Parts: sequence; structure tokens; C-alpha cells
Amino acid sequence: MIPEQFGRVGVLFGFALLFPAIPLIASYVFYRLRLRPEHPDPIKRATYECGVEAEGSSWGRFNARYYIVALAFVIFDVEVVFLFPWATVFAGMGWVAYFEAVLFVGVLALGLGYAWRRGALEWR
Amino acid sequence: MSAALDPIRLRARLAPRTLARGVIAFAAFVALNVAIAALVVSGALDGEWYDFRDLGLGVQQLREWLDEQTADQPGWLTDILRSTTWLSYLVTALLGATGILSFVGGVLLVLIWVERRLIGRIQVRRGPNRVGPFGLLQPVADAIKLIQKETLIPVGADRVMFFLPPVLVFIPGLLVWAPVPWAPHMTYVDTNVGVLYLVAIGSLATLAIFMAGWSSNNHYALLGAMRTVAMMISYEIPLALSLLTVVVLTGSAQLSAIVEWQSVHNVWIVVLLPLTLFTFFFASTAELNRTPNDIAEAESEIVAGFHTEYSGMKFGLFYAVELGNAVAVSALTAALFLGGWSMFGLQEWVPAYLLFATKVAAVYFVLVWLRGTLPRFRLDQLMAFAWKYLIPLALLNLGVVAIEAALFRRWEGEGVVVLGGFALANGLLTVVAVRGWARFLGYAPEREPLLRPTLTTGVGGLRAVDRMRTTR
Repeated sequence: MIPEQFGRVGVLFGFALLFPAIPLIASYVFYRLRLRPEHPDPIKRATYECGVEAEGSSWGRFNARYYIVALAFVIFDVEVVFLFPWATVFAGMGWVAYFEAVLFVGVLALGLGYAWRRGALEWR
Repeated sequence: MSAALDPIRLRARLAPRTLARGVIAFAAFVALNVAIAALVVSGALDGEWYDFRDLGLGVQQLREWLDEQTADQPGWLTDILRSTTWLSYLVTALLGATGILSFVGGVLLVLIWVERRLIGRIQVRRGPNRVGPFGLLQPVADAIKLIQKETLIPVGADRVMFFLPPVLVFIPGLLVWAPVPWAPHMTYVDTNVGVLYLVAIGSLATLAIFMAGWSSNNHYALLGAMRTVAMMISYEIPLALSLLTVVVLTGSAQLSAIVEWQSVHNVWIVVLLPLTLFTFFFASTAELNRTPNDIAEAESEIVAGFHTEYSGMKFGLFYAVELGNAVAVSALTAALFLGGWSMFGLQEWVPAYLLFATKVAAVYFVLVWLRGTLPRFRLDQLMAFAWKYLIPLALLNLGVVAIEAALFRRWEGEGVVVLGGFALANGLLTVVAVRGWARFLGYAPEREPLLRPTLTTGVGGLRAVDRMRTTR
């Protein structure tokens, strides 16, 4: 059952690679037929900075806020993934299953509250 | 200025000949519909491959025919694959993939025009109307223009990383269509982990976008990419939580089963879970990078965000995939919240996939409407809205809906009464929670004196047109 479905996803994956390839190839053919120009020069290839000369490389440091968001994301996304199997079966399993999930989510919500209190969610 | 000269109010007059043609066309349309209805009622179509109400029947017959062919003559491929149905499997897979690809491709071409025309009307202008009838050929002209434009690679860019994103970004954009139920027997991958698959596929685009921004060696592009990643991963959580709420209610993560559930209970989930729809829709506009949440490519702040340095067809691919994702989100909203292909019994008469397409178009219209009317949020507002507003509300909603789902399993008998009660309770919860939590966080409307908008004809363009007309 499952391998069959993934085979189909694989076929679609191949199509997804093919679809953007067609216009890119057409673009290349246009260049070969001299319908499309290709005359790069240093000024044209300079990175766009609203007309000002680009200052330094852009591959430098960036704000540490992004790491905090990424960490919080990992925790919550994993939580949701764990909850999916629970969601499909809990209704037939009685209240114990419900309160176990409430406990699980509650601990994480406590963590969110703590992060909020410490100001991790403020974007400065 | 007289109405005839006013370019905004100018309308073509209806000529008698056009009117007669219109009447004839309408009569022919009605006659065709009556004929089809008679054919459907007579039952001559039932179970035949040319019954276009259910394309799954034709595929099923094709599959059986192919299986007979391969079962008679087992070849070396049959031995390797240890399956006698590999040919029918391959053919149906290719058929389905071609169908999805042609739908997405065709829809992209049309919707570029639709979106620009609609936004034009919202902003009191015409939109594209020069190329072809009503400007319908505008997307084709755009594509030709983009293909023959020079594609530049900026100095110091990582060439491989710069080339890959326009291709990679298509993969999630197309794979997301796999579990979408088009009609009762028309689902490409009818997997029982459909919703989980959507969550997994949905976060893939972030990677391609970050590659694009990082490899460009441009400050604006990098800023745009960082913003996109921060926003998309923040909104991934309310999105996944709202999908989870739907799964909790219906007890299945299979998209076709969710639509089936709505069909059986004769109810759209939007009535039962309005708060979930709100969370899902807001979070998905953020995932799509569309206004009001398009800070990733905010033109007035960071040029064009992650695709600042992309030109020619590579930019065209980014543009196309953005539209394609918007249609995909419309399809998911229609399937999960608006009943998918079911329409209270109408699906017995009208092809179910047409009903589904109508709902997709309606949701897409709302997306364009939002884009045309709402201003953009600020980055910090948007992040705070995800973490402080949407996630707590989604968690609360999940808890409430879980209780309701458990109760519903026990009282399945009086479905209508129970579901009506849930709809009332959840509607009340939505109003109270949305208002209360917003008040708790201190969100309030701006109390500034409103400027009254006034229509003026003294603006340059209109005045100039007027002068040209009168002097000639």
C-alpha cells in the first residue's frame, strides 16, 4: 500500500522537475538562436543596492532572534507531529487518552509561557 | 464631464445584433443542459466509461483491461517487479500526474490574467486589456517576454545554489496536489496520512527560498530570505495545529475521508470550526507570502526580497509557483473546510470535480480580494501575532474540539442535533476567544480621525484625457 503511494509521489516528483526545466531549456534555445541577449558586464552584474555601490559581502552575521524562533519552532512542530497519530485514534480510547494529550500539550504551553515571560517572543 | 467622456464609466453599448446572438447562445446552452439532464435521468450513462460525472470509472476499466493484457504474457519486468499489475500502475500514475500538471499549468496561465484584472477592478482601473480579446493573451505575452530576457548572475553569487532554487521551489508546489480529492474516485495519492504529508511538503519551500536569498550575495535578498524563514516556520505551527483540529473532529488524516465525512453528515466543517478556518487561512496567507503577510518581498522595504537578483525566466518561475501555491491553498481550504466535491446531493447530477473547481475559484477570489484591500503588516507584528495570538488560540480550540469529537463518537445517533450544538458552541467560542484574547493582548483599532476619501476628477490623468478629447 505505502510503497505504491510513494511510487506515485515519485512520478509526480519527476514531473515537478520536468515542468520548470521546459521554460529554462526554451530560454537557452532562444539564446542559441540569438533571440535572447547574453552580454554580461561588471556594472550589470553588480548586486542591486538601489543605485549605491554594494558595501561588503552579504554573507555575514545576522540577528540571534532567528535562532530562538527556530528552536521554538522545532519543539512545537515535533509536538504537532506526535499528536497526529493520537488524533486519529483517541476518540475510541476514553478520557485517559484525552488527559494524557492535555498533559503533553500543557507542558509545552508552559514552556511557551515561560519563553513569553522572558521576552523571547519580542522582536527587537 | 459628461458620462460618455468619463473614461472610468465608459461602457460599450449593447448592439441589437450582439443581443440576438446572446439570446441564441443562451437558448443553445439551456437546450444542451436539458439534453444532458435527460440523458442522466434515463440511466444510460451509469457505470460506463463515458460517464463524465465520475472519471474514476474510466480509469478503473482501463486498469482492468491493462491487467488482463499483462496477466496473459508475464515478461521479465513482471519477474523483477514481482507484480502482474505494474503496467496498469504505471499508466494510471502517468495519467494522474499529467492531469495534475495540465490542470496546474492551465490554471496558472488563466489566473495570472484573472488576478491582474481583479486587482485592477479593485483599484478602480482596467487591468491588462490590450493583448488579445479582453487581454486574455497577456500571460502568454508575459511568458514570451520573460523567456527572451537576459538572465544575469550577480558578481560573487554561488552559481550552483543560484541556479537551483527556481527549479526546487516547484517540487513542493506540485507535490502538494498529490492527496487532493477531486471527486469520489479521483485522488492521485489516496494516502491515509494525507494531512501529515501536507504538513511535511508545506515546509519544503522554505529551503528553496533560503537558498535563493543566500546565494544571491545581495543584502536585500538575504534579509528577505531570513524574514521568510522566520515567518514561514512561525506560521507552520498554527497551520499544522488547525489541520490537526480537523483530523481530531473527523477521526481520519485521509483527505478523501475528510470530504466523505462532510458529505455523509451533510455539513461543511467551516460551520463547525470557524476559528480553525480563521487560523488556517491567516497562516496559509503567511506561508504563501501574499499580502497582508508579504513581508518577505515587501517592495517598499527590501526591493523584492529573496528574488531581487533573479531576472528573465528564473523570476518567471518564482512568480508562477507563487500563484500555483495560492491555488493549492484554495484547493485545500475547499476540501477541508468547504466540503470538497460534496454539495448536499448535487454531486449526483453535476460532475463532482466541477463543484470542487467552483469552490476553489471562490476561495481564490477571497485571496485576491485580501491582496487588493489589506495593507502589509510589520515584521514584528506578524511574528508576535503567530506566537502570542494564533498558537494559544489554536491550542485552546484543539482542546475544545477534542472533547466534542469524543462526545460525537458516543452520540452518533442524533447527528444533526449534536452537530448543530457544536456549531453554536464553536461559533460562540470563536467570537469570545478572538475578541477576548485580542483585548487581553492590548490589540485595539487605531483611534485617529478618519480621512474621508473623496473622488476627484482633477487628477492629471483624467484631466489630460478630458482635454485631449475636447481639443480634437
